Amino acid sequence: MAEFPKARDFFESSRAAVGDHELRRKLENASARHLDHFAEVKAEFPAYDDERDAAHRIKTDAIAHLDELLIELTSKLEARGCKVFFAQDAADARDYIVELAKRRGAKTVVKGKSMTTEEIELNGALERAGIDAVETDLGEYIVQLRGERPSHIITPAIHLSKEDIGQLFTDKFGIEYTAEPEKLTAEARSRLRAIFLNADFGVTGVNFAIAETGTLVIVENEGNGRLSSTMPETFVAVMGIEKVIARLEDLSHFLEILARTATGQKLTTYTSFITGPRREGELDGPGEMHVVILDNGRSSMIADPVLREALNCIRCGACLNVCPIYRRIGGHAYRSVYPGPIGSIISPNLFGSAAGYLPFASTLCGACKDICPVKIDIPRILLHLRWKESTGEHPIRWPRAIERARRGARRFAKMARHPRTVRALGNFAAMVLKPFAHNGYLRRMPGPFGNWTKYRDFPRPRPHKRSAPAPERPPS
Amino acid sequence: MAEIHKIIASLKDALGVGARSNSQAEAASAPVPVAQSAHRAALASTFARELEAVGGKFLGILTPAEVTNRIVTLAGEIGAKTVALGQGVESDMEEIGEALERADFRIVRTIPVADTERAAMRERVANADMGIAEADFAIASTGTLAVVSTGDRPSSLTLLPPASLVIVQIDRVMANLAAVLAELGAGGVAANRLTLITGPSRTADIEKRIVLGVHGPKSIHVIVVWPRDD
Ligand code: SF4
Repeated sequence: MAEFPKARDFFESSRAAVGDHELRRKLENASARHLDHFAEVKAEFPAYDDERDAAHRIKTDAIAHLDELLIELTSKLEARGCKVFFAQDAADARDYIVELAKRRGAKTVVKGKSMTTEEIELNGALERAGIDAVETDLGEYIVQLRGERPSHIITPAIHLSKEDIGQLFTDKFGIEYTAEPEKLTAEARSRLRAIFLNADFGVTGVNFAIAETGTLVIVENEGNGRLSSTMPETFVAVMGIEKVIARLEDLSHFLEILARTATGQKLTTYTSFITGPRREGELDGPGEMHVVILDNGRSSMIADPVLREALNCIRCGACLNVCPIYRRIGGHAYRSVYPGPIGSIISPNLFGSAAGYLPFASTLCGACKDICPVKIDIPRILLHLRWKESTGEHPIRWPRAIERARRGARRFAKMARHPRTVRALGNFAAMVLKPFAHNGYLRRMPGPFGNWTKYRDFPRPRPHKRSAPAPERPPS
Repeated sequence: MAEIHKIIASLKDALGVGARSNSQAEAASAPVPVAQSAHRAALASTFARELEAVGGKFLGILTPAEVTNRIVTLAGEIGAKTVALGQGVESDMEEIGEALERADFRIVRTIPVADTERAAMRERVANADMGIAEADFAIASTGTLAVVSTGDRPSSLTLLPPASLVIVQIDRVMANLAAVLAELGAGGVAANRLTLITGPSRTADIEKRIVLGVHGPKSIHVIVVWPRDD
């Protein structure tokens, strides 16, 4: 399992990211474009909200019947000649795929875009076994060349400018520098096409798995998913247990909203429906197909009725684009495979308490909830996780200063149950602090309270009896 | 295997915690309004508009004879030398193939292959300048083509060559995605690989700028076929 950094590292990386003006510009640029596209598409599709309701309902139902649906899916897949492997955790999934690749003598594994394979850290495991893992989604290809992780679940290279990418291609391939997206794309196309034609082993993620028919549905724009699932002789699809839906007729409700929210398209360029390996006489498709179904903490999320809702997520990435935190710090600062609002919910649950600080990395403004195509109440779940942390269920190692402040807050909470003490203390504070206030505001507070006034002023406490509204904020 | 039982058992436990929703029955999707055949031309024109909106090229509603001529002209326009084509759904692709040959284009015909010939056949399709296929359905609301691949109509035809030409019968243009999935049915979807194609291959991975032709075709041309005796 991934070693997750401590809360202190998150503070450091987010502080560094906030100071990176170039990064801010790129993120704001991308988010703004995204929101424009989204607004256009939404105006054109009046049924959008109905479809969201339908998708929410269908997914909630599917999760409530997940055990039955997985059994149905498995039997349908097996009937069509697929091998199904249930992986309890990331290591199980990784070992299965690496072992299989070794047995098939694979030298190169081509990968379609998949967050789940990022989650299980497949690439590193393949490389350690001496097998090349090549990301074929353009954005993933770019971040892989840079030795980075994707910084967004839909647009992995969102943190890079075209100049960055041009320089990268010059450095890696020795080609003449260009920052034209068309030329860079053409370069990647020809390099990857050659790899595709020779690859013997392909891995992709799955967007939806239809239990009724045993069909895997893969949604994408470039053709990397199509190629990764049709060209190699051995094909492995990796999916979380929550990807299953009951019936074919459920699917259109999701497809009608997924691309609209994710990229502002009505439908993505390619939607592939794969039911089993290639049949007799067919030119395309793998001779052998495996489906790895991954739990990795998901069933424990189901056990919590509030958290369960997070499994409705269809990974559209929209909550990242609207999140005021994400838009300022970008994906890498979260230091988790899944960044942004939804990442802050699932990461601590998939990767353990080491990522437990993430639910606190939110302003709870609710923009994510408003845009989520499956209407997940993200702020509510974040609050729930914070509450769980406070009960000691998901303990976090906070930096010392914060730990001290939290202890203070707990003491305050205890004290606040006695109104008379609070009033007395308030009056005392009002008296002591009065000489330090400017225009009714405190610029700097002592001790652990200093963190509060570092970035904003604190209204001067007033004696209880004359409780007046805080004055207009002074120009600072 | 052991793992599935473990995971299913833990799921059963987990699901026992919250009350199971019982709305499975009412969750059935609302019926999809399917346009009547009287609206075929209207659907075809919506399809054309949406196709163009995603960067596809609409070549018109043509009779079979016109289709053949138009394809020969198109192959010339894009400077193709080799054209790959498979069996049609309803159209006679052989007629198109012969016309192309008469016009001196090299033709790669995809036929069911033995495992030993697969690599060679695939190479030939990949090297063709244009692939021709007939779609099973088209979706008006999104400009999408639904293509089922079989032994003699492989998925490669719409994936490997840099230009793609797809024909579709006018009465197979449906209002929306749900209508096409309903038309295909669970059996139809599961029988073979199905691909929905909405415009040329594209990416927005570099500064959200749209670039066409990443891994799949850079251009996609579509003709809607109007049957002779109509
Ligand atoms: S939580 Fe909602 S908005 Fe965020 S990625 Fe998942 S589906 Fe999209």
